[in-house]
Amino acid sequence: MNVIVKLGAAALLASAVAVPAAQAGETLDRVMSSKTLTMSSDPEYPPQSFLNDANEMDGFDVDVGKEIAKRLGVELKIVTPSWDIITGGNWGGRWDMSVGSMTPTKSRAEVLNFPAVYYYTPAAFAVHKDSEIDSLDDLDGKTIGSCGGCTYDAYLMKDLEIDAEGAPPFDYEVEAGEIKTYETDTHVFDDLRLGDGARLDAAFSALPTIQEAIKGGYPMKVVGKPAFYEPLSVATDKGDPEFDAKITEIVAEMRADGTLKALSEKWYGVDLTTVE
Amino acid sequence: MFELARENPWLSRAALFLLVAAALTALGLGGTAVGDLVAPIFGPRDPQVAAGFGRNLLVGVMLAGAFVANLEFIRLLLFRMQVLVVWAELLLLFYGFALSFERDFGVIFEVGDRSGVSNLYFLITTGAFTTIYISLIAISIACVLALAGALGKLSSNGAAYAVATFYISFFRGTPLLLQVVLIYTGFAQLGFVMEAVPAGITALSLCYGAYMAEIFRAGILGVPHGQREAAKALGVPESLIFRKIVFPQAMRLIVPPTGNQFIAMLKDSSLVSVVGVWELTKTAQVLGKRDFQVFEFLIAAAVIYWIMSVVFEVLQSRLEAYYGKGDRR
Repeated sequence: MNVIVKLGAAALLASAVAVPAAQAGETLDRVMSSKTLTMSSDPEYPPQSFLNDANEMDGFDVDVGKEIAKRLGVELKIVTPSWDIITGGNWGGRWDMSVGSMTPTKSRAEVLNFPAVYYYTPAAFAVHKDSEIDSLDDLDGKTIGSCGGCTYDAYLMKDLEIDAEGAPPFDYEVEAGEIKTYETDTHVFDDLRLGDGARLDAAFSALPTIQEAIKGGYPMKVVGKPAFYEPLSVATDKGDPEFDAKITEIVAEMRADGTLKALSEKWYGVDLTTVE
Repeated sequence: MFELARENPWLSRAALFLLVAAALTALGLGGTAVGDLVAPIFGPRDPQVAAGFGRNLLVGVMLAGAFVANLEFIRLLLFRMQVLVVWAELLLLFYGFALSFERDFGVIFEVGDRSGVSNLYFLITTGAFTTIYISLIAISIACVLALAGALGKLSSNGAAYAVATFYISFFRGTPLLLQVVLIYTGFAQLGFVMEAVPAGITALSLCYGAYMAEIFRAGILGVPHGQREAAKALGVPESLIFRKIVFPQAMRLIVPPTGNQFIAMLKDSSLVSVVGVWELTKTAQVLGKRDFQVFEFLIAAAVIYWIMSVVFEVLQSRLEAYYGKGDRR
């Protein structure tokens, strides 16, 4: 038994790496010396990031991550911790960046850095296809679902603060009767598809995600104009300004030479890398 | 009335039939897919129009008749055949239930254009495989922790007792999901950074070790004190008494509930997915989100979990037979 305990303890120690508080240049050094850029991504968020028919991660966010790795001259590796764990910060060097369509809010900026906004997502309302709602005004007092801890439920609760450069101003146009929050956007659509008003009157999510779900056969339709545009940024852990500067530089290059625009058109059919 | 029913079996059958028919009629099944059974008499079902009482009654009577006839049929069989027939019938009902969702289950067997393997293959080789190896490692470590916890709790040393009770109390008293997150993120802040799989295994081991410590303690206490005394009287060294006399007998009491814990762990290991481990549930969700067909893959995952549990149930009964051989005559 003692041997087993020792072996177990040794295995645990071996799998753990003691990492002191992050130092300047540490992340960049790790990436360059291991020739691997590790990125966190949500595998359940098409078309931003999902598992394709080759059983490999694919999507707009993944392509942006791949391009950043390519320009750093390293390989891209993807890990898939849950959203709460990514946004919690203190990654301990287990992954280097998040290209996960993350909105740089003030509270998130306390634990993470946002070196580069790479595109803007319109946030839109969707209703069941049998619904009679056809404008944002009709949504007042209705039961609306969104993912929890996202910008969407923050908007519905009129508590959305986006502190990124170039974030377009917006008004709170909808007064939800009841807000239901879910772990992720697709669960919202699953409840909406049960029927008009069965559990939800409307869903509030990213327009591209809604359109992807409609393409996947969800009986929904988009209502009105986008409620707001949210800038979406690459996120990094606190503590390595050199790495952040490198990311900022690379994304600026990708924007300047049209790579970002081409990727956006590939995945969304439109250019979402600039605000109208 | 009950006396009467006991004397005349036909009366009790008739009563059962009436009761079931009344209950099914009250459910109003005429308007559901089952109502199509009476379409030849009443004409095709119109989903927009509520089914009339006649339709509901006929469906109720037909189903109740089939139910009672089925019971009579099963009554005629030997025990083994009864078990087989009822299992087959329940499985068939389950199958019908799943079919009634009208989802495209073919997607589970679809082969990816570029991967060259079916979704089911990926679900098993990535998801089920991860679930099994994580659970196997975790249950092994949990057994060691449980034994230590049980001995600590039985110890006359105050410190050992305190550590054991504190450990058992904390890990039984907090949700496994929080333990996974705490071990993954909390320890990282202390500079002890674990990858997702070791963190998940650690959390599962600690949590199940705490539950199983109580099982082990009960097993050890369940060995009659006379066994220990007899060993002492025969001059068995103190150091061998626990290992050779008490523990093998305790195992007989420990194995069944431990097998139970393992089967529970197979499913609780899905909580490890929050830190990014692609075990069965997570893999099913990822595959499902690809084409927005989550439901189909969750059903597939449920069936795979079930099959795994059945396999381990059989293994458990073998193990039970092995440790129980002292009791057989």
